[in-house]
Amino acid sequence: MARLFSILLILCFAFPYSGLAKIVDETEIDEKVREIAKTLRCTVCQTENIWESGAPLAHQMRDAVRERVIQGQSAEEIREYFHSRYGDYIMMEPPKHGMNWLIWLAPFILLLGGGILLWREVKRWVTRSPKPEAKVSPPLDEKSQRRIQQELNL
Amino acid sequence: MTRTTQITILIVLLGLLSLFYQGLWGDPRHIPPILIGTKAPIFEGPDVESGEPLSSKKYQGKVILVNFWASWCQECKVEHNNLLKLYDEFKDHPEFIMLGINYQDEMPKARAYLKQYGSSFPHVRDVKGALAIDFGVYGVPETFVIDQKGVIRHKWIGPIVGDVYTNLTNKILTPLLNKSAPTI
Amino acid sequence: MVIEIGHFSVVIALVLSAFGIVSSILALKTRNVDWVRVGRVSLTSIFILLSIGMASLIYSFLIRDFSVHYVATTSNSQLPLFYTIAAVWGGHEGSLLLWVFILSTFSTIAVWLHWRTQPTIMPYLIGMECLIIMGFLLLILFLSSPFDRLIPAPPDGKDLNPLLQDPAMVMHPPMLYMGYVGFSIPFSFAMAALFSGRLGEEWIKVTQRWTIFAWLCLTTGILLGGYWAYYELGWGGYWGWDPVENASFMPWLVGTAFLHSVMVQEKRKMFKVWNLFLIIVTFSLSLIGTFLVRSGVLTSVHTFATDPERGLYILIFVTTIIGIAFGSLMIRAHKLKSQVEMDSMVSRESMFLFNNLFFLVATATVFLGTLYPLMVETWQGTKVTVGPPYYNTVFMPIALGLLFLMGIGPYIPWRKASQASLKKNFLVPLVIGLLATIILFTLGIRSIFALAGAFVVGFSGAAICIDFGKISSLYSRRASVSFLKGSLSAFTSNQRRYSGLLTHVGVLVLVIGIIASTVYQTEKVVSLKVGDEFIIDDYRVKLERIHEVRGKNWSAQEGVFEVYEGDSLLTKLRPQKRVYDASQTPTTESAIYAKNMGHIFLTMPDVSPDGVAVARGVINPLILWVWGGGGIMGLGVLLNIFRPRKRDE
Repeated sequence: MARLFSILLILCFAFPYSGLAKIVDETEIDEKVREIAKTLRCTVCQTENIWESGAPLAHQMRDAVRERVIQGQSAEEIREYFHSRYGDYIMMEPPKHGMNWLIWLAPFILLLGGGILLWREVKRWVTRSPKPEAKVSPPLDEKSQRRIQQELNL
Repeated sequence: MTRTTQITILIVLLGLLSLFYQGLWGDPRHIPPILIGTKAPIFEGPDVESGEPLSSKKYQGKVILVNFWASWCQECKVEHNNLLKLYDEFKDHPEFIMLGINYQDEMPKARAYLKQYGSSFPHVRDVKGALAIDFGVYGVPETFVIDQKGVIRHKWIGPIVGDVYTNLTNKILTPLLNKSAPTI
Repeated sequence: MVIEIGHFSVVIALVLSAFGIVSSILALKTRNVDWVRVGRVSLTSIFILLSIGMASLIYSFLIRDFSVHYVATTSNSQLPLFYTIAAVWGGHEGSLLLWVFILSTFSTIAVWLHWRTQPTIMPYLIGMECLIIMGFLLLILFLSSPFDRLIPAPPDGKDLNPLLQDPAMVMHPPMLYMGYVGFSIPFSFAMAALFSGRLGEEWIKVTQRWTIFAWLCLTTGILLGGYWAYYELGWGGYWGWDPVENASFMPWLVGTAFLHSVMVQEKRKMFKVWNLFLIIVTFSLSLIGTFLVRSGVLTSVHTFATDPERGLYILIFVTTIIGIAFGSLMIRAHKLKSQVEMDSMVSRESMFLFNNLFFLVATATVFLGTLYPLMVETWQGTKVTVGPPYYNTVFMPIALGLLFLMGIGPYIPWRKASQASLKKNFLVPLVIGLLATIILFTLGIRSIFALAGAFVVGFSGAAICIDFGKISSLYSRRASVSFLKGSLSAFTSNQRRYSGLLTHVGVLVLVIGIIASTVYQTEKVVSLKVGDEFIIDDYRVKLERIHEVRGKNWSAQEGVFEVYEGDSLLTKLRPQKRVYDASQTPTTESAIYAKNMGHIFLTMPDVSPDGVAVARGVINPLILWVWGGGGIMGLGVLLNIFRPRKRDE
């Protein structure tokens, strides 16, 4: 009898709580998965990572990442696993070795090199250009000077 | 425009032209196999037809031909008869094992496919796509040959038809199997 | 029947385009104006014929004539009217026809518009445009015809790719093509100048409006594409450095460099060869972009079906045009050597040169990044990915440099800047830029991108605002009117300059939007049952219910999510998982709510049979500044095009 009563009591308290909204949130695992997934390329899409992609293979790769995160593997280990299976292609950017240095350094070399060349060329033009003759003219008053400066800037 | 500039422009344009021309005849979807020469992963899963657990561990020391397929894959249908023929040709060799891996599919559909098109060797179901990822698979069909030492010796993306078939049987499978051919 | 009329018209157009080239050559040889007139009639007739061709194709779509192969592959009977018309350019063949149709339209307008004022270059202009038209028509008629029949006709067509069934996607190709084609006009004028040897500045002045118009269309087209990607593809991003996106970005970059550089030619009559080079590169990139998209050389979310034969033809065609262009440049360039008079290293002229340097390096970077995978595959046999992380790293300094130049350029005088003027113009903006950086830093922001961005944006923005403020107050004081009225008179007093600066302001707004929405984006992916809620930033999102919805040619599972801020309900968002009837293609439809000029962006990528929904919420701060900035850029350009002509213009 007492048992029945206590069961009923528990039910009275439990029942209202089953209707309360549950606040869900991402777990630390979710965040880790996202972080790693964003660095792996979806192999059947064009430059999308497996986090963004809706392809089934991407979904399965995300699951594979999740499993490994749960097992406790580090981001580097997981990336290395995928790299061993799919090669450089699975990385979202060319790994910095060998011929790939070309593409990583080219923009800076082009900018620097181009800048230097341009600088030298402009300098050559400046030294070569005829200098405007120095003309002696009466100094202008403040207002006119300001006005002229303005017009010159436009 | 200086000579150097002219020559630079010419070189760039010609380089681009040759690149594009070569690019036209290459298949942008072809990815060079990087797993060749590496140890094949052990894989397991439920048998598609019986549901019993199947593991590649059982076949260590044999030459294993692994073929990834799916019921929704058109090119798989194209190669299916060739696969059956291939199995028939080599099944009597004691060291030859052929396994299919059913990829991104539903069990009933896979079973129906095998029923309709024929099945003579076992098929493992890749439950979560983990097997495919382990093999670096992008899609179907893809075929691998693993030697007696467990090393991946060959990979082919696409259906096994025509020259691909003959190459696989004559240049890949036969030499591997003859190495340990039973003494005549 | 109708489609055959269209087909026939296009065939005649092809013949006429060849004829147009011949008549132009004859005009030059015989120096007889009548031959030029014949050329003009040919070009105009081509326009009319291609209109008939387009019309017949549109008609076939509207009456759902599935015996036309192209109609059957890109539309079906359930497709709403609006998208049925869009389907005309939804596939490869139709989009090519659209390209050449716009080309013939613009060419004809150009010829008639400039007939009186530019008589001598007309044969070159007509000849060049006809050559390009002929190239496209050969491609269309022999390798990519939208006019082919499909016998027996299927009872219903396939579907237009559901991703394309969207308003922004409808406008995106026409806008983009108007941009590409728009640049063909200055290009043809440049070719005319090179061939004829009449290498004065007329061609620049005449084509200035075409250049700006083309730039406007291209910019709009690119932004529309970004906007579409943002809400349709469902991952809350608007630029993926996809090869096709890059193919449109490269001509834009060089086109912008060109647009700026011609100002030097206009003012100081210098850099003639350089400007010819720039427009040739701009248009060449449009053509190369066409090649990349349609040849199968690169795979992409966008690329049309691959076909090496077709690709080979396009390669030959594009090579011919580019070869002719660069060839004539190299041969004729020496005739153009102008005396370069540079008075100072620090001058408007040199600023424009550095502007060009940065734009060209940017273009080369994007070009290299896009082609690198192909290079590695062809010459090394391996595959690499050049994805957004690469571009973001490498592009950032270039972009920052450009923004900085954008700030100083307009305020450095022509010829020579004095120390005093430099100090006057830039001291305060420099301080403001530094202040902006410091403020952001104290707010806890540590991203280098954001901090450096704050500096250049603060600097450039301050430079523009202070200058305009000074001028406006000058005008308002002079006429004793309000500041607002003064700013209006200031604006119209030099509308060309200030509308340009308005476009720059638009760029700054866009950049702020990009920095904020990229660096400070938050994302949450959770699994919910009905009644559950999750928290993202300051908002509470609760799944109220999941139900089925039907549209004209699709059905969907829709999740109704209530978004709360505190206790007040902001809105109900309804993302969907849609399946289109005809193709059974699933799509994810996003739901967006604008708040504080940012977006609350919600998608529901998955719903399990037992009612567990996966919801993905993204907060994109200040994303409206991206589209708003684009709008301001466009407004600036429009105010430039439609400005009152001054006496000397």
